[in-house]
Amino acid sequence: MNDYPEVVAKIANDYLERVKLQLRMVPATERDEFLKELQSHLYEAYRQTPGDDDVGRILAVLRNLGEPAEVVSDRLPGAMVRSGTRRSLPLYIVGGMLIAMFGIPLGFGGVGVLMGLLCGLAGIVMAYYATAGSFLLIGAISMLLGVSRILLPHLWDKLVTLGLIQINGPLGDYFDRVSPAEQGLFWILVAGVFLASGLGMLRLGRYMLRGLLFLFRLVLDWMRGLAHTVRRNLRRNNREYSTAAFGIRHADH
Amino acid sequence: MEYSSEDKDKRVTQLRKGILELAVMGVLYHDRHYGYSLVRVLSESGSISLKEGTIYPILARLHRDGLVRSEWIESDQGPPRKYYALTASGRHLFDELSQEFDLLVSLVQRKWNVAESSEQARKKLFVRKG
Repeated sequence: MNDYPEVVAKIANDYLERVKLQLRMVPATERDEFLKELQSHLYEAYRQTPGDDDVGRILAVLRNLGEPAEVVSDRLPGAMVRSGTRRSLPLYIVGGMLIAMFGIPLGFGGVGVLMGLLCGLAGIVMAYYATAGSFLLIGAISMLLGVSRILLPHLWDKLVTLGLIQINGPLGDYFDRVSPAEQGLFWILVAGVFLASGLGMLRLGRYMLRGLLFLFRLVLDWMRGLAHTVRRNLRRNNREYSTAAFGIRHADH
Repeated sequence: MEYSSEDKDKRVTQLRKGILELAVMGVLYHDRHYGYSLVRVLSESGSISLKEGTIYPILARLHRDGLVRSEWIESDQGPPRKYYALTASGRHLFDELSQEFDLLVSLVQRKWNVAESSEQARKKLFVRKG
């Protein structure tokens, strides 16, 4: 297609590889199109740069074009932001440690282990929420008991006579000694403790839930990265984008 | 206090960045261009010395915002070229931005009479107080 010296093609391809590395977070189609565009730029610029020294010409072209980081600067933010936000640092470190301990040496198997671990964690979180829910239920029932003991003392007495309410042991002895209003207050106090615990657990649970979601997302990201690497390895033999302009077959590694 | 040349360079770069986008839109308003030809036109007609690579982030931004459209066209020599042209909304925005730009330029180039203007300012202040 043209008569570029091999050394020029090598220098240009090396530059394009560096640009490609900068764009690793950008979707493949967008990245390949931009590399094709840069390839065209290098060709045009090289053709119009005067001089006898081929290497000097291509280096001048690359110098004028600027460093890869500058050339790609406005293509990065979207992708970087997508992968960089909503990750608080401490959790990221914890996730990183988890992956380092269980995942990396094991490849896809490691992902399985991690997913299992996360499912276990999800189970714990569900049990946690069930406990919080039962605390809230106990709180509500105790509140009902307390209020009814104060407002409808006869109803309570009738229920005790019928045997529907039986309180034995030290608590029963205590109840025999105090007035119905005091008994009601006791139940309201118990209700307060359980309701506060339940609500507190729900509030704390948000952080647990967020942490768990973060870990799930981390593993998913990582799986995506792994799939990407595999795809790239499969495609390695077909790397023509960076060499077409210079009409030189890329040396296989 | 004297400003450093580094300080000046930083400000010049900042100033150019904003204007360059408008200049790119201006060039694409009349004709379609591919990246390298755009660089040539800008550096020849306006004698702006620029890192050629800076044109691509600008084009990417304009494309993302729907202000330019692009198409690949085969070249007689070498690889195909990606041509850019302003879209209808890009042209519309350029018209508005260039008006804004003219206004700013006239503001910068206006010969201010400092004594007079400060006198006027004092008068205005007085009027407001009254």
